[in-house]
Amino acid sequence: MNNIFKFSFGILSTLAFAWLAFVVGANLQYGDLSPESQILEDDGSRPPDAELFPKDMSGIAKQGAEEYLSLGCVTCHTQQVRLFTKKGPNGNRVIEAGIDIERGWGKRASMARDYVLQDHVMLGNTRVGPDLANFGMNENDQNWLHQHLFEPQSLVPDSICPPSPFLYEVSDQPKDGTISVLPPVGSSGDENKTRYIIPSIRANRIVAYLRALKQDYELPESPFVETDEKTIETNTTVIEGIPDWVNYPASPKALADISEQMSAGKEVYTKIGPGGGGCVTCHQPTGLGVPLAFPPLAASDWVKGDKDRLIKISLFGLMGEIEVNGVNYNGVMTAPGIPPGSLTDQQIADVLTFVRNSWGNSASAVSPAEVAEIRDSIKDRAPMQMWTAAELSSHSKQVQ
Amino acid sequence: MKETPEQVIDRSAKIVVSFFVASAGLWLLAAALLAYVAAAKLTDPFFLSSYEFFTYGKIKIAQANAFVYGWGGNSIFAVTLWIIARLSQVEIRGRILLLFSGVIWNMAISFGLLGILDGHMNSHEMLEMPTIVWPALFISYAIFAFLALVIHRSRKNPNTIAPQWFILASLIWFPALFLIAWNGLEINPARGTLPSVLSLWFGQSLIWLWLTPMALGAAYYIIPSIIGKAIDKYYLAIFGFWCIAALAPWSVVHHLEGGPVPMWIPAVGTVMSIAMIFPIAVASTNFHATAFRDIGKVWNNLPLRFVIFGTISYTLSSYIGVIFSLPDVAKLTQFSIINEFHFNQRVYGFFSMIIFGMVYHMLPKITGKEIGKSAKSFHFWTSAFGVLILLLAYLIGGLTHGVLAQQTSLDWSSSVITSVQPYFKITKYAFVILGLSQLVFVINVWKVIFPNPFAALFESDIEKKEKTA
Repeated sequence: MNNIFKFSFGILSTLAFAWLAFVVGANLQYGDLSPESQILEDDGSRPPDAELFPKDMSGIAKQGAEEYLSLGCVTCHTQQVRLFTKKGPNGNRVIEAGIDIERGWGKRASMARDYVLQDHVMLGNTRVGPDLANFGMNENDQNWLHQHLFEPQSLVPDSICPPSPFLYEVSDQPKDGTISVLPPVGSSGDENKTRYIIPSIRANRIVAYLRALKQDYELPESPFVETDEKTIETNTTVIEGIPDWVNYPASPKALADISEQMSAGKEVYTKIGPGGGGCVTCHQPTGLGVPLAFPPLAASDWVKGDKDRLIKISLFGLMGEIEVNGVNYNGVMTAPGIPPGSLTDQQIADVLTFVRNSWGNSASAVSPAEVAEIRDSIKDRAPMQMWTAAELSSHSKQVQ
Repeated sequence: MKETPEQVIDRSAKIVVSFFVASAGLWLLAAALLAYVAAAKLTDPFFLSSYEFFTYGKIKIAQANAFVYGWGGNSIFAVTLWIIARLSQVEIRGRILLLFSGVIWNMAISFGLLGILDGHMNSHEMLEMPTIVWPALFISYAIFAFLALVIHRSRKNPNTIAPQWFILASLIWFPALFLIAWNGLEINPARGTLPSVLSLWFGQSLIWLWLTPMALGAAYYIIPSIIGKAIDKYYLAIFGFWCIAALAPWSVVHHLEGGPVPMWIPAVGTVMSIAMIFPIAVASTNFHATAFRDIGKVWNNLPLRFVIFGTISYTLSSYIGVIFSLPDVAKLTQFSIINEFHFNQRVYGFFSMIIFGMVYHMLPKITGKEIGKSAKSFHFWTSAFGVLILLLAYLIGGLTHGVLAQQTSLDWSSSVITSVQPYFKITKYAFVILGLSQLVFVINVWKVIFPNPFAALFESDIEKKEKTA
């Protein structure tokens, strides 16, 4: 303690440890993050010709970021959507709290990858105003944004966001290209006059930036989250024997234990011939089906929802009128498999796991045991007797 | 009459320390004014809204920088020099260079703040001043730190004590923190969210490793020197010191809970924050066990009253900080105005109060003039009252803000923020009280440092009369 050099060495080495972790360590962990496709192949590779996200902002939006920074907007607005997860009953990660998503501030958790192309990352630390990470997703109307920037109180009652009249040219009369701004909500008196504003180049930059703020694509490590179900399981699986925090951001390895089912399921889905499922003929490689003829599997509630129903359909097929994502279909689907109904429990489990986790879908895996259980429970059903939608819903009620 | 060695040191410190204290006072007033404007703009968004110069975001950030670098920096210079010189028992040398570095420092901050208000802000926490002023700030600090270390090296007694450890550590940590942050943010900038991690780490470490050790060192110095007794359980101090050195740089990152950064970063932050209980307990025991042996003196001696207010505030704020670093609590309050509570508790309730006490302790010794007792007392009570109101408003307002933000059925601006509005109003009034209090402080200090020139004229008249008589 008495020798200043030894003392300095001591106190600087404690800092150096923190530096090693937060700068060197964190840089090694994800310093070379780069844009990625929305979904990875089963083996963790990128699908060929896939579009990569995030995309770079336009030039004017980047200038807008400078303006946003210079006005200190970051003091009140964060740009990060949080999603808290915890360990679920079967070792999956289950959503614990997704308040930001419920508020409509985003469709999924923000990830480090979302920011790799931004020159100024303004995560922020205080939310006096709402989060803006996905502002461009909702308020796409330019005029609305200009009115809000000019005087937030003219649109949002009780807003305490400071008006920025200095970014606009104001006049009393409408002219070419002016935007009309109503007086503040709830105000009264003689001042109740509509103003007409012409945005300056700076205002246009800021609006371009705000419209560019959107994380409206999925990333392999962060799929979209549905807000109506609070306990959706994400497909990040915990690797046993390693502390929790290592699994973040989810690496392809973390998906390893469904990847086998996924690749087997894909085989069943695409194979047209004995032993295959032949699903691909109607539902298409894209999972989107054929409009008005064959319903889509991507983003379908039938696929992502009740497992039991899905297994029943896979065992016996489905006919008659059904509604998928608001569109009515009326067709016949024989039990999958060539010949129909020939798929084993394992094959059905694999193909269902595959369709539940492809094309942007993200739902829990299906195990052969679950299939066997359902098969056993309806073993009295006549072979090849297809379900109808009405029968399925009444059947599930009876069981309950 | 022959001067005692202490008087010789004080005389050598007179101009330099007075310069730093006087400029610190001016920055304090500037920060108080900006704080009022920011608070007023939160209650009435139309207040001064037509001037871009006064946009809330700019004012708020300029206020934090004026407070930390202007007031904090200058007062750290003053207190460091005086305590180091006194403990080394040597005169302050290199006074011209010290004044030079002080002038550069203050000019750089002035340009920096004007730069922020003019729209040239940086996006890094507590490094918001434009890039161009930082080399000047760094060089002026380096000159000051070098000269302070030279004084320390020429000390009469080779053995060092607790106040020296803390103050020297603060002296060395600031440039080290700065270099780490500057390298990672400007020279070899990382991409994505890494700069955000680093800038948060810098901004929080600045308070934990620059302001905090400084104030703790001052408290370790002044408490025994006024009470006249050794620090109780002094053998724990070294443990407390190394705990802060080892834990504080890790603990600050718990603010990133749930953010788009590797999950281990906030997790490490939380663990280390909890471990910070030990150094907090050590400092608290050292200070309070010593001071409360003579509670009458704490009450009657104004500098000591300021310092003990600061140390109690340190203990409380740090324990509250530990609670708010727990993940379950952090999820609720992380983005609420509770952040303002932490900042003001630490920088105002703790650091500034100790500095006020220290200034009142050393200025009379340096200048040989006493400060009016009632003026000091007014300053203490308005400061204590103002800080309490401010912190309570931010604490309760922050909890309200955080809890209501979780109710997704409540509309953001018309329900959540409207419920927090009353607390913004209270903080506005608290800043008025604090501004008044700081004005009194600055008048107290300036009156002592710059005596009325006319008073000197009158004095010389009387002396002349005496001579003629």
